[in-house]
Amino acid sequence: MSCIEVHSLSKSYSSILAVDTIDLSVESGQVFGFLGPNGAGKSTVIKLLTTLIQPDSGQISVLGVNAIKEPLKIRKKIGVVLQQPSYEPTLSVEKSLEKYGMMWNVDKKTRQIRTEELLESFELTQIRKKKNEDLSIGQRRRVQVAREFMHDMDLLFLDEPTVGLDPSARRKLLDFLKNKVKDTGMTIFYTTHVLTEAEYLCDNIAIINNGKIITVDSPNELKNRFGNEKTIKIHVSEQFIQLPNLLKDIPDCNIEKSDGIIITIHSTNSEIVLMNILKILNQNNIPISDLSAMPTNLEEIFLKVVSDSDASNN
Amino acid sequence: MHPIIRLVNRNITISVNPGFLIWQVIFPLIYIFVAGFAYTALIDNVPFGNKDLTYPAFLASGMIGFNIMNSTLVSGIIIWNDRRHGMFEQIMSGPFTRVHYILSNIATIAIIGLVSAGLIAAVGYPVFFESVEFSPVTIPLIIFSSITGAILFGSIASIISTRLRSSEGFNVIINTVFLFFAFVSTAFYPASGAPQPLATIFYLNPLTYLVDIIRAGIFGTITEFVILEMVILAVLASILFIIATRLLTKLDF
Repeated sequence: MSCIEVHSLSKSYSSILAVDTIDLSVESGQVFGFLGPNGAGKSTVIKLLTTLIQPDSGQISVLGVNAIKEPLKIRKKIGVVLQQPSYEPTLSVEKSLEKYGMMWNVDKKTRQIRTEELLESFELTQIRKKKNEDLSIGQRRRVQVAREFMHDMDLLFLDEPTVGLDPSARRKLLDFLKNKVKDTGMTIFYTTHVLTEAEYLCDNIAIINNGKIITVDSPNELKNRFGNEKTIKIHVSEQFIQLPNLLKDIPDCNIEKSDGIIITIHSTNSEIVLMNILKILNQNNIPISDLSAMPTNLEEIFLKVVSDSDASNN
Repeated sequence: MHPIIRLVNRNITISVNPGFLIWQVIFPLIYIFVAGFAYTALIDNVPFGNKDLTYPAFLASGMIGFNIMNSTLVSGIIIWNDRRHGMFEQIMSGPFTRVHYILSNIATIAIIGLVSAGLIAAVGYPVFFESVEFSPVTIPLIIFSSITGAILFGSIASIISTRLRSSEGFNVIINTVFLFFAFVSTAFYPASGAPQPLATIFYLNPLTYLVDIIRAGIFGTITEFVILEMVILAVLASILFIIATRLLTKLDF
Protein backbone atom coordinates (compact mmCIF):
# COMPACT_ATOMS: atom_id res chain seq x y z
CA MET A 1 0.00 0.00 0.00
CA SER A 2 1.25 3.48 -0.86
CA CYS A 3 2.04 5.76 2.03
CA ILE A 4 3.00 8.77 -0.08
CA GLU A 5 1.74 9.48 -3.61
CA VAL A 6 2.92 12.55 -5.45
CA HIS A 7 1.94 13.55 -9.00
CA SER A 8 3.35 16.43 -11.09
CA LEU A 9 4.39 18.34 -7.99
CA SER A 10 5.96 21.76 -8.52
CA LYS A 11 7.04 24.53 -6.20
CA SER A 12 9.00 27.69 -6.95
CA TYR A 13 10.37 30.52 -4.84
CA SER A 14 10.39 33.81 -6.75
CA SER A 15 12.04 32.82 -10.03
CA ILE A 16 13.72 29.65 -8.71
CA LEU A 17 12.03 26.37 -9.52
CA ALA A 18 12.80 24.33 -6.36
CA VAL A 19 10.66 21.30 -7.26
CA ASP A 20 9.99 20.55 -10.90
CA THR A 21 6.95 18.36 -11.72
CA ILE A 22 8.02 15.34 -9.69
CA ASP A 23 6.21 12.02 -9.32
CA LEU A 24 6.90 9.83 -6.33
CA SER A 25 5.42 6.79 -4.66
CA VAL A 26 6.53 5.46 -1.28
CA GLU A 27 5.32 2.09 -0.02
CA SER A 28 4.28 1.67 3.64
CA GLY A 29 6.54 -0.01 6.17
CA GLN A 30 9.87 0.90 4.62
CA VAL A 31 12.68 3.37 5.06
CA PHE A 32 12.69 5.55 1.98
CA GLY A 33 15.91 7.46 1.37
CA PHE A 34 15.80 10.83 -0.33
CA LEU A 35 19.21 11.90 -1.56
CA GLY A 36 20.47 14.92 -3.40
CA PRO A 37 23.17 17.58 -3.34
CA ASN A 38 22.72 20.85 -1.44
CA GLY A 39 19.89 22.92 -2.88
CA ALA A 40 18.54 19.99 -4.90
CA GLY A 41 15.04 20.43 -3.44
CA LYS A 42 15.03 17.79 -0.68
CA SER A 43 13.90 20.07 2.14
CA THR A 44 11.29 21.73 -0.07
CA VAL A 45 9.82 18.31 -0.87
CA ILE A 46 9.73 17.48 2.86
CA LYS A 47 8.01 20.79 3.61
CA LEU A 48 5.44 20.04 0.90
CA LEU A 49 4.83 16.50 2.16
CA THR A 50 4.52 17.65 5.77
CA THR A 51 2.06 20.37 4.62
CA LEU A 52 4.24 23.20 5.94
CA ILE A 53 4.05 24.84 2.52
CA GLN A 54 1.58 24.55 -0.34
CA PRO A 55 2.61 23.49 -3.86
CA ASP A 56 2.19 25.68 -6.94
CA SER A 57 0.72 22.69 -8.77
CA GLY A 58 0.36 18.94 -8.54
CA GLN A 59 -1.21 16.48 -6.12
CA ILE A 60 0.03 15.08 -2.82
CA SER A 61 -1.53 12.23 -0.93
CA VAL A 62 -0.01 11.25 2.41
CA LEU A 63 -1.41 8.24 4.31
CA GLY A 64 -4.36 8.32 1.94
CA VAL A 65 -5.23 11.94 2.78
CA ASN A 66 -5.14 14.85 0.34
CA ALA A 67 -2.39 17.15 1.67
CA ILE A 68 -3.79 20.26 0.04
CA LYS A 69 -7.35 19.82 1.30
CA GLU A 70 -6.77 18.28 4.75
CA PRO A 71 -3.30 19.20 5.99
CA LEU A 72 -4.15 18.99 9.70
CA LYS A 73 -5.44 15.44 9.32
CA ILE A 74 -2.03 14.46 7.94
CA ARG A 75 -0.06 16.34 10.58
CA LYS A 76 -1.89 14.43 13.31
CA LYS A 77 -0.51 11.15 11.95
CA ILE A 78 3.07 12.05 11.11
CA GLY A 79 6.26 12.92 12.94
CA VAL A 80 8.74 15.46 11.63
CA VAL A 81 12.37 16.08 12.49
CA LEU A 82 13.35 19.07 10.43
CA GLN A 83 16.84 19.87 9.24
CA GLN A 84 17.13 22.98 11.39
CA PRO A 85 17.51 22.57 15.15
CA SER A 86 14.34 23.11 17.18
CA TYR A 87 14.32 23.29 20.95
CA GLU A 88 13.01 25.16 23.98
CA PRO A 89 16.18 26.74 25.39
CA THR A 90 15.00 27.02 29.00
CA LEU A 91 13.61 23.49 29.37
CA SER A 92 15.64 20.55 30.64
CA VAL A 93 16.06 17.47 28.45
CA GLU A 94 13.47 15.40 30.32
CA LYS A 95 11.04 18.32 30.52
CA SER A 96 11.41 18.82 26.75
CA LEU A 97 10.39 15.23 26.11
CA GLU A 98 7.57 15.38 28.63
CA LYS A 99 6.15 18.66 27.32
CA TYR A 100 6.41 17.52 23.72
CA GLY A 101 4.38 14.43 24.61
CA MET A 102 1.83 16.68 26.31
CA MET A 103 1.61 18.83 23.16
CA TRP A 104 0.76 15.65 21.25
CA ASN A 105 -1.96 14.81 23.79
CA VAL A 106 -0.18 11.71 25.08
CA ASP A 107 -1.52 10.76 28.51
CA LYS A 108 0.64 11.44 31.54
CA LYS A 109 1.45 7.83 32.40
CA THR A 110 2.50 7.00 28.82
CA ARG A 111 4.57 10.19 28.77
CA GLN A 112 6.47 9.14 31.87
CA ILE A 113 7.16 5.65 30.50
CA ARG A 114 8.24 6.92 27.08
CA THR A 115 10.41 9.66 28.57
CA GLU A 116 12.38 7.07 30.56
CA GLU A 117 12.65 4.72 27.57
CA LEU A 118 13.85 7.45 25.23
CA LEU A 119 16.31 8.90 27.73
CA GLU A 120 17.78 5.40 27.90
CA SER A 121 17.68 4.63 24.15
CA PHE A 122 19.25 7.94 23.14
CA GLU A 123 21.76 7.92 26.02
CA LEU A 124 20.38 11.10 27.51
CA THR A 125 20.01 9.88 31.10
CA GLN A 126 23.22 11.58 32.27
CA ILE A 127 22.10 14.94 30.92
CA ARG A 128 18.38 14.66 31.69
CA LYS A 129 18.44 17.69 34.02
CA LYS A 130 20.55 19.84 31.72
CA LYS A 131 18.85 22.71 29.93
CA ASN A 132 18.69 22.56 26.14
CA GLU A 133 20.61 25.83 25.83
CA ASP A 134 23.55 24.21 27.66
CA LEU A 135 23.77 21.13 25.40
CA SER A 136 26.22 20.49 22.59
CA ILE A 137 24.92 20.44 19.01
CA GLY A 138 24.99 16.63 18.92
CA GLN A 139 23.20 16.28 22.27
CA ARG A 140 20.55 18.75 21.16
CA ARG A 141 20.06 16.83 17.93
CA ARG A 142 19.58 13.61 19.89
CA VAL A 143 16.92 15.28 22.04
CA GLN A 144 15.22 16.61 18.91
CA VAL A 145 15.04 13.15 17.34
CA ALA A 146 14.13 11.36 20.62
CA ARG A 147 11.33 13.85 21.26
CA GLU A 148 9.54 12.80 18.08
CA PHE A 149 9.10 9.28 19.43
CA MET A 150 7.04 10.58 22.38
CA HIS A 151 3.96 10.29 20.18
CA ASP A 152 2.55 7.57 17.94
CA MET A 153 2.77 8.03 14.21
CA ASP A 154 2.40 6.12 10.95
CA LEU A 155 4.99 8.09 9.03
CA LEU A 156 8.14 9.86 10.16
CA PHE A 157 10.06 12.47 8.17
CA LEU A 158 13.71 12.76 9.11
CA ASP A 159 15.62 15.55 7.40
CA GLU A 160 19.33 14.87 7.91
CA PRO A 161 18.86 13.65 11.49
CA THR A 162 22.45 12.57 12.05
CA VAL A 163 24.03 15.99 11.47
CA GLY A 164 26.29 16.72 14.44
CA LEU A 165 26.22 13.15 15.81
CA ASP A 166 29.39 11.21 16.49
CA PRO A 167 29.81 7.84 14.68
CA SER A 168 28.65 5.82 17.69
CA ALA A 169 25.51 7.92 18.24
CA ARG A 170 24.85 7.82 14.50
CA ARG A 171 24.99 4.03 14.37
CA LYS A 172 22.77 3.74 17.46
CA LEU A 173 20.19 6.04 15.90
CA LEU A 174 20.17 4.06 12.65
CA ASP A 175 19.69 0.80 14.56
CA PHE A 176 16.94 2.39 16.66
CA LEU A 177 15.16 3.47 13.47
CA LYS A 178 15.57 0.05 11.86
CA ASN A 179 14.05 -1.62 14.91
CA LYS A 180 11.18 0.87 15.04
CA VAL A 181 10.24 0.11 11.45
CA LYS A 182 10.46 -3.62 12.15
CA ASP A 183 8.44 -3.44 15.40
CA THR A 184 5.76 -0.93 14.45
CA GLY A 185 5.52 -1.15 10.66
CA MET A 186 5.87 2.60 10.40
CA THR A 187 7.32 4.31 7.32
CA ILE A 188 10.34 6.58 7.43
CA PHE A 189 11.14 9.22 4.84
CA TYR A 190 14.83 9.88 5.31
CA THR A 191 17.15 12.47 3.81
CA THR A 192 20.89 12.43 4.33
CA HIS A 193 24.20 13.41 2.80
CA VAL A 194 25.95 10.40 4.34
CA LEU A 195 25.45 7.76 1.69
CA THR A 196 26.71 4.89 3.80
CA GLU A 197 23.76 5.68 6.11
CA ALA A 198 21.32 5.44 3.23
CA GLU A 199 22.91 2.18 2.12
CA TYR A 200 22.67 0.77 5.65
CA LEU A 201 19.15 1.95 6.42
CA CYS A 202 17.05 2.42 3.32
CA ASP A 203 14.92 -0.08 1.44
CA ASN A 204 14.53 2.30 -1.49
CA ILE A 205 16.30 5.44 -2.55
CA ALA A 206 15.32 8.39 -4.71
CA ILE A 207 17.94 10.80 -6.02
CA ILE A 208 16.86 14.37 -6.67
CA ASN A 209 18.84 17.04 -8.49
CA ASN A 210 17.80 20.52 -9.63
CA GLY A 211 14.28 19.85 -8.38
CA LYS A 212 13.83 16.71 -10.48
CA ILE A 213 13.86 13.09 -9.37
CA ILE A 214 16.52 11.36 -11.41
CA THR A 215 16.06 7.80 -10.26
CA VAL A 216 14.25 5.65 -7.66
CA ASP A 217 15.34 2.13 -6.74
CA SER A 218 16.70 -0.10 -4.01
CA PRO A 219 20.39 0.38 -3.13
CA ASN A 220 21.25 -2.99 -4.69
CA GLU A 221 19.37 -2.26 -7.90
CA LEU A 222 21.04 1.13 -8.14
CA LYS A 223 24.39 -0.62 -7.86
CA ASN A 224 23.39 -3.09 -10.57
CA ARG A 225 22.15 -0.35 -12.85
CA PHE A 226 24.86 2.25 -12.36
CA GLY A 227 27.64 0.38 -10.63
CA ASN A 228 28.85 -2.11 -13.24
CA GLU A 229 32.29 -0.58 -13.15
CA LYS A 230 34.98 -1.12 -10.54
CA THR A 231 37.47 1.24 -9.04
CA ILE A 232 41.10 0.08 -9.34
CA LYS A 233 43.71 1.69 -7.12
CA ILE A 234 47.43 1.08 -7.68
CA HIS A 235 50.09 2.27 -5.26
CA VAL A 236 53.62 2.13 -6.70
CA SER A 237 56.74 2.10 -4.50
CA GLU A 238 58.30 5.28 -5.88
CA GLN A 239 57.00 8.25 -7.82
CA PHE A 240 56.66 7.63 -11.57
CA ILE A 241 55.18 10.68 -13.30
CA GLN A 242 54.88 8.94 -16.69
CA LEU A 243 52.56 6.28 -15.26
CA PRO A 244 49.30 7.64 -16.76
CA ASN A 245 50.93 7.86 -20.18
CA LEU A 246 51.95 4.20 -20.00
CA LEU A 247 48.40 3.09 -19.17
CA LYS A 248 46.36 5.44 -21.32
CA ASP A 249 46.17 3.10 -24.33
CA ILE A 250 44.63 0.19 -22.43
CA PRO A 251 41.01 -0.18 -23.61
CA ASP A 252 38.26 0.73 -21.07
CA CYS A 253 40.84 2.13 -18.66
CA ASN A 254 39.55 5.50 -17.41
CA ILE A 255 42.19 7.21 -15.32
CA GLU A 256 40.49 9.37 -12.69
CA LYS A 257 43.57 10.75 -10.98
CA SER A 258 47.28 10.14 -10.56
CA ASP A 259 50.03 11.80 -8.55
CA GLY A 260 52.72 9.45 -9.81
CA ILE A 261 52.47 7.22 -6.72
CA ILE A 262 48.76 6.42 -6.46
CA ILE A 263 46.65 6.06 -9.58
CA THR A 264 42.86 5.61 -9.54
CA ILE A 265 41.17 3.96 -12.52
CA HIS A 266 37.53 3.15 -13.34
CA SER A 267 36.69 0.27 -15.65
CA THR A 268 33.74 -1.90 -16.58
CA ASN A 269 36.14 -4.63 -17.61
CA SER A 270 38.34 -4.59 -14.54
CA GLU A 271 39.87 -8.11 -14.77
CA ILE A 272 41.34 -7.60 -18.24
CA VAL A 273 42.36 -4.02 -17.51
CA LEU A 274 44.12 -5.18 -14.36
CA MET A 275 46.03 -7.87 -16.26
CA ASN A 276 47.17 -5.30 -18.83
CA ILE A 277 48.26 -2.87 -16.14
CA LEU A 278 50.33 -5.52 -14.34
CA LYS A 279 51.95 -6.47 -17.62
CA ILE A 280 52.96 -2.87 -18.40
CA LEU A 281 54.24 -2.24 -14.87
CA ASN A 282 56.31 -5.42 -15.07
CA GLN A 283 57.78 -4.51 -18.47
CA ASN A 284 58.84 -1.10 -17.08
CA ASN A 285 60.20 -2.53 -13.82
CA ILE A 286 57.84 -0.48 -11.70
CA PRO A 287 57.40 -2.16 -8.30
CA ILE A 288 53.87 -2.20 -6.80
CA SER A 289 53.37 -1.71 -3.05
CA ASP A 290 49.56 -2.07 -3.00
CA LEU A 291 46.74 -2.85 -5.40
CA SER A 292 42.94 -3.05 -5.00
CA ALA A 293 39.82 -3.44 -7.14
CA MET A 294 36.65 -2.28 -5.37
CA PRO A 295 33.03 -2.51 -6.50
CA THR A 296 31.39 0.90 -6.92
CA ASN A 297 29.68 2.12 -3.76
CA LEU A 298 26.55 4.19 -3.43
CA GLU A 299 28.52 7.38 -3.02
CA GLU A 300 30.15 6.92 -6.42
CA ILE A 301 26.80 6.07 -7.97
CA PHE A 302 25.32 9.19 -6.40
CA LEU A 303 28.11 11.37 -7.79
CA LYS A 304 27.79 9.76 -11.21
CA VAL A 305 24.02 10.12 -11.36
CA VAL A 306 24.14 13.74 -10.20
CA SER A 307 26.96 14.70 -12.59
CA ASP A 308 25.21 12.97 -15.51
CA SER A 309 22.05 14.89 -14.63
CA ASP A 310 23.96 18.20 -14.44
CA ALA A 311 25.61 17.44 -17.79
CA SER A 312 22.29 16.70 -19.49
CA ASN A 313 20.81 19.91 -18.06
CA ASN A 314 23.70 21.94 -19.42
CA MET B 1 -7.26 18.24 25.79
CA HIS B 2 -7.92 20.91 23.18
CA PRO B 3 -4.88 21.93 21.10
CA ILE B 4 -5.09 25.54 22.32
CA ILE B 5 -5.01 24.43 25.98
CA ARG B 6 -1.99 22.23 25.25
CA LEU B 7 -0.18 25.14 23.63
CA VAL B 8 -1.11 27.47 26.50
CA ASN B 9 0.30 24.90 28.93
CA ARG B 10 3.51 24.80 26.92
CA ASN B 11 3.68 28.62 26.62
CA ILE B 12 3.29 29.12 30.35
CA THR B 13 5.90 26.44 31.13
CA ILE B 14 8.52 28.06 28.90
CA SER B 15 7.68 31.65 29.89
CA VAL B 16 7.25 31.58 33.64
CA ASN B 17 10.69 31.35 35.13
CA PRO B 18 12.25 32.94 38.24
CA GLY B 19 13.60 35.87 36.22
CA PHE B 20 10.20 36.63 34.77
CA LEU B 21 8.47 36.42 38.18
CA ILE B 22 11.02 38.75 39.75
CA TRP B 23 10.53 41.21 36.91
CA GLN B 24 6.75 40.98 37.20
CA VAL B 25 6.51 41.28 41.00
CA ILE B 26 9.60 42.93 42.45
CA PHE B 27 9.81 45.72 39.91
CA PRO B 28 6.24 47.02 40.49
CA LEU B 29 6.64 46.60 44.25
CA ILE B 30 9.71 48.82 44.23
CA TYR B 31 7.74 51.39 42.26
CA ILE B 32 4.74 51.29 44.58
CA PHE B 33 6.52 51.24 47.91
CA VAL B 34 9.71 53.16 47.15
CA ALA B 35 8.80 55.63 44.42
CA GLY B 36 5.21 55.92 45.64
CA PHE B 37 6.09 56.99 49.15
CA ALA B 38 9.27 58.88 48.19
CA TYR B 39 7.38 61.10 45.74
CA THR B 40 4.62 61.79 48.26
CA ALA B 41 6.73 64.66 49.53
CA LEU B 42 6.71 66.22 46.04
CA ILE B 43 3.26 65.24 44.76
CA ASP B 44 0.17 66.25 46.64
CA ASN B 45 -3.01 64.29 46.53
CA VAL B 46 -4.07 63.53 42.98
CA PRO B 47 -7.63 64.40 41.94
CA PHE B 48 -9.31 61.51 40.15
CA GLY B 49 -13.00 61.82 39.27
CA ASN B 50 -14.77 62.99 42.39
CA LYS B 51 -11.96 61.69 44.63
CA ASP B 52 -8.67 62.83 45.97
CA LEU B 53 -6.18 59.96 45.85
CA THR B 54 -2.87 59.74 47.68
CA TYR B 55 0.05 59.45 45.25
CA PRO B 56 0.88 55.87 46.36
CA ALA B 57 -2.77 54.88 45.75
CA PHE B 58 -2.68 56.58 42.34
CA LEU B 59 0.61 54.89 41.44
CA ALA B 60 -0.38 51.43 42.73
CA SER B 61 -3.52 51.44 40.57
CA GLY B 62 -1.44 52.63 37.60
CA MET B 63 1.03 49.83 38.16
CA ILE B 64 -1.72 47.28 37.53
CA GLY B 65 -2.10 48.53 33.95
CA PHE B 66 1.66 48.87 33.61
CA ASN B 67 2.11 45.28 34.74
CA ILE B 68 -0.50 43.98 32.31
CA MET B 69 1.36 45.73 29.51
CA ASN B 70 4.71 44.34 30.66
CA SER B 71 3.37 40.81 30.93
CA THR B 72 2.28 40.90 27.30
CA LEU B 73 5.92 41.12 26.29
CA VAL B 74 5.73 37.37 26.82
CA SER B 75 3.71 37.05 23.64
CA GLY B 76 6.38 38.72 21.53
CA ILE B 77 9.13 36.79 23.27
CA ILE B 78 7.38 33.44 22.68
CA ILE B 79 6.90 34.13 18.97
CA TRP B 80 10.38 35.51 18.52
CA ASN B 81 11.98 32.62 20.42
CA ASP B 82 9.89 30.05 18.55
CA ARG B 83 11.10 31.44 15.26
CA ARG B 84 14.70 31.73 16.38
CA HIS B 85 14.88 28.25 17.89
CA GLY B 86 12.90 26.45 15.19
CA MET B 87 9.88 25.72 17.37
CA PHE B 88 7.43 27.68 15.23
CA GLU B 89 8.10 25.41 12.27
CA GLN B 90 8.11 22.35 14.52
CA ILE B 91 4.75 23.24 16.07
CA MET B 92 3.28 23.99 12.66
CA SER B 93 4.36 20.55 11.43
CA GLY B 94 2.46 18.99 14.34
CA PRO B 95 -1.24 18.70 15.19
CA PHE B 96 -1.81 22.47 15.31
CA THR B 97 -2.96 25.23 13.00
CA ARG B 98 -1.82 28.83 12.91
CA VAL B 99 -5.13 29.82 14.46
CA HIS B 100 -4.38 27.48 17.39
CA TYR B 101 -0.96 29.09 17.74
CA ILE B 102 -2.29 32.65 17.66
CA LEU B 103 -5.19 31.98 20.04
CA SER B 104 -2.93 30.13 22.46
CA ASN B 105 -0.66 33.16 22.59
CA ILE B 106 -3.59 35.45 23.26
CA ALA B 107 -4.90 33.09 25.96
CA THR B 108 -1.42 32.93 27.50
CA ILE B 109 -1.04 36.68 27.75
CA ALA B 110 -4.62 37.07 29.00
CA ILE B 111 -3.88 34.59 31.79
CA ILE B 112 -0.51 36.11 32.65
CA GLY B 113 -2.01 39.61 32.41
CA LEU B 114 -4.88 38.74 34.76
CA VAL B 115 -2.60 37.00 37.24
CA SER B 116 -0.20 39.94 37.16
CA ALA B 117 -3.05 42.39 37.65
CA GLY B 118 -4.43 40.33 40.53
CA LEU B 119 -1.00 40.07 42.11
CA ILE B 120 -0.33 43.81 41.99
CA ALA B 121 -3.90 44.54 43.12
CA ALA B 122 -3.40 42.24 46.10
CA VAL B 123 0.00 43.67 46.98
CA GLY B 124 -1.07 47.26 46.38
CA TYR B 125 -4.36 46.90 48.24
CA PRO B 126 -2.98 48.23 51.57
CA VAL B 127 -1.93 51.35 49.70
CA PHE B 128 -5.25 52.16 48.05
CA PHE B 129 -7.81 50.33 50.21
CA GLU B 130 -9.12 53.55 51.80
CA SER B 131 -10.37 54.86 48.44
CA VAL B 132 -11.52 51.56 46.93
CA GLU B 133 -15.12 51.42 45.78
CA PHE B 134 -15.77 48.04 44.16
CA SER B 135 -19.24 47.22 42.84
CA PRO B 136 -20.77 44.45 40.68
CA VAL B 137 -20.09 46.72 37.69
CA THR B 138 -16.51 47.68 38.43
CA ILE B 139 -15.01 44.19 38.85
CA PRO B 140 -16.14 42.90 35.39
CA LEU B 141 -14.94 46.26 34.04
CA ILE B 142 -11.46 45.67 35.45
CA ILE B 143 -11.38 42.10 34.09
CA PHE B 144 -12.61 43.25 30.67
CA SER B 145 -10.04 46.01 30.44
CA SER B 146 -7.26 43.69 31.66
CA ILE B 147 -8.02 41.16 28.94
CA THR B 148 -8.53 43.82 26.25
CA GLY B 149 -5.30 45.52 27.28
CA ALA B 150 -3.45 42.21 27.23
CA ILE B 151 -4.72 41.51 23.70
CA LEU B 152 -3.80 45.01 22.55
CA PHE B 153 -0.25 45.06 23.88
CA GLY B 154 0.23 41.36 23.10
CA SER B 155 -0.70 42.11 19.49
CA ILE B 156 1.83 44.96 19.37
CA ALA B 157 4.54 42.66 20.77
CA SER B 158 3.51 39.96 18.27
CA ILE B 159 3.65 42.38 15.34
CA ILE B 160 7.17 43.46 16.34
CA SER B 161 8.29 39.85 16.79
CA THR B 162 7.07 38.86 13.32
CA ARG B 163 8.97 41.70 11.66
CA LEU B 164 12.35 41.30 13.34
CA ARG B 165 14.76 38.39 13.35
CA SER B 166 17.84 39.78 15.10
CA SER B 167 17.84 39.73 18.90
CA GLU B 168 19.36 43.23 19.06
CA GLY B 169 16.69 44.65 16.77
CA PHE B 170 13.90 42.91 18.65
CA ASN B 171 15.13 44.08 22.06
CA VAL B 172 15.78 47.67 21.01
CA ILE B 173 12.44 48.12 19.25
CA ILE B 174 10.30 46.40 21.86
CA ASN B 175 11.98 48.20 24.77
CA THR B 176 11.71 51.58 23.06
CA VAL B 177 8.04 51.10 22.21
CA PHE B 178 7.12 49.82 25.66
CA LEU B 179 9.21 52.51 27.38
CA PHE B 180 7.27 55.13 25.45
CA PHE B 181 3.98 53.52 26.45
CA ALA B 182 5.05 53.33 30.10
CA PHE B 183 6.29 56.86 30.62
CA VAL B 184 4.09 58.81 28.21
CA SER B 185 0.94 57.68 29.98
CA THR B 186 -1.03 58.31 33.13
CA ALA B 187 0.41 55.20 34.81
CA PHE B 188 2.93 57.18 36.89
CA TYR B 189 1.50 60.70 36.94
CA PRO B 190 -1.80 62.43 36.14
CA ALA B 191 -2.28 64.08 32.76
CA SER B 192 -3.83 67.11 34.42
CA GLY B 193 -0.51 68.40 35.80
CA ALA B 194 1.48 67.87 32.62
CA PRO B 195 2.09 70.59 29.95
CA GLN B 196 -0.72 70.61 27.39
CA PRO B 197 1.22 69.04 24.47
CA LEU B 198 2.42 66.22 26.70
CA ALA B 199 -1.05 65.71 28.17
CA THR B 200 -2.39 65.41 24.61
CA ILE B 201 0.27 62.84 23.72
CA PHE B 202 -0.77 60.87 26.83
CA TYR B 203 -4.10 60.27 25.13
CA LEU B 204 -2.48 58.93 21.98
CA ASN B 205 -1.22 56.08 24.13
CA PRO B 206 -3.41 53.01 24.75
CA LEU B 207 -1.82 52.44 28.17
CA THR B 208 -3.43 55.69 29.33
CA TYR B 209 -6.86 54.29 28.45
CA LEU B 210 -6.13 50.98 30.12
CA VAL B 211 -4.86 52.65 33.31
CA ASP B 212 -7.78 55.11 33.39
CA ILE B 213 -10.32 52.27 33.09
CA ILE B 214 -8.63 50.18 35.79
CA ARG B 215 -8.48 53.20 38.12
CA ALA B 216 -12.12 53.97 37.43
CA GLY B 217 -12.95 50.35 38.23
CA ILE B 218 -10.98 50.35 41.48
CA PHE B 219 -12.14 53.73 42.73
CA GLY B 220 -15.70 53.51 41.41
CA THR B 221 -15.52 56.66 39.24
CA ILE B 222 -17.00 55.43 35.99
CA THR B 223 -17.85 58.36 33.73
CA GLU B 224 -18.93 58.73 30.11
CA PHE B 225 -15.32 59.47 29.22
CA VAL B 226 -14.23 56.14 30.77
CA ILE B 227 -16.84 54.34 28.67
CA LEU B 228 -15.46 56.13 25.59
CA GLU B 229 -11.97 55.01 26.60
CA MET B 230 -13.25 51.41 26.84
CA VAL B 231 -14.66 51.63 23.32
CA ILE B 232 -11.39 53.08 21.97
CA LEU B 233 -9.37 50.39 23.76
CA ALA B 234 -11.59 47.61 22.39
CA VAL B 235 -11.46 48.99 18.83
CA LEU B 236 -7.67 49.42 18.95
CA ALA B 237 -7.23 45.93 20.40
CA SER B 238 -9.39 44.44 17.62
CA ILE B 239 -7.50 46.25 14.85
CA LEU B 240 -4.08 45.32 16.22
CA PHE B 241 -5.18 41.73 16.83
CA ILE B 242 -6.30 41.42 13.20
CA ILE B 243 -2.99 42.85 11.98
CA ALA B 244 -0.98 40.52 14.25
CA THR B 245 -3.03 37.52 13.11
CA ARG B 246 -2.53 38.40 9.44
CA LEU B 247 1.22 38.80 9.89
CA LEU B 248 1.47 35.52 11.80
CA THR B 249 -0.59 33.76 9.16
CA LYS B 250 1.78 35.00 6.47
CA LEU B 251 4.97 33.97 8.25
CA ASP B 252 6.85 31.63 5.96
CA PHE B 253 9.29 28.87 6.78
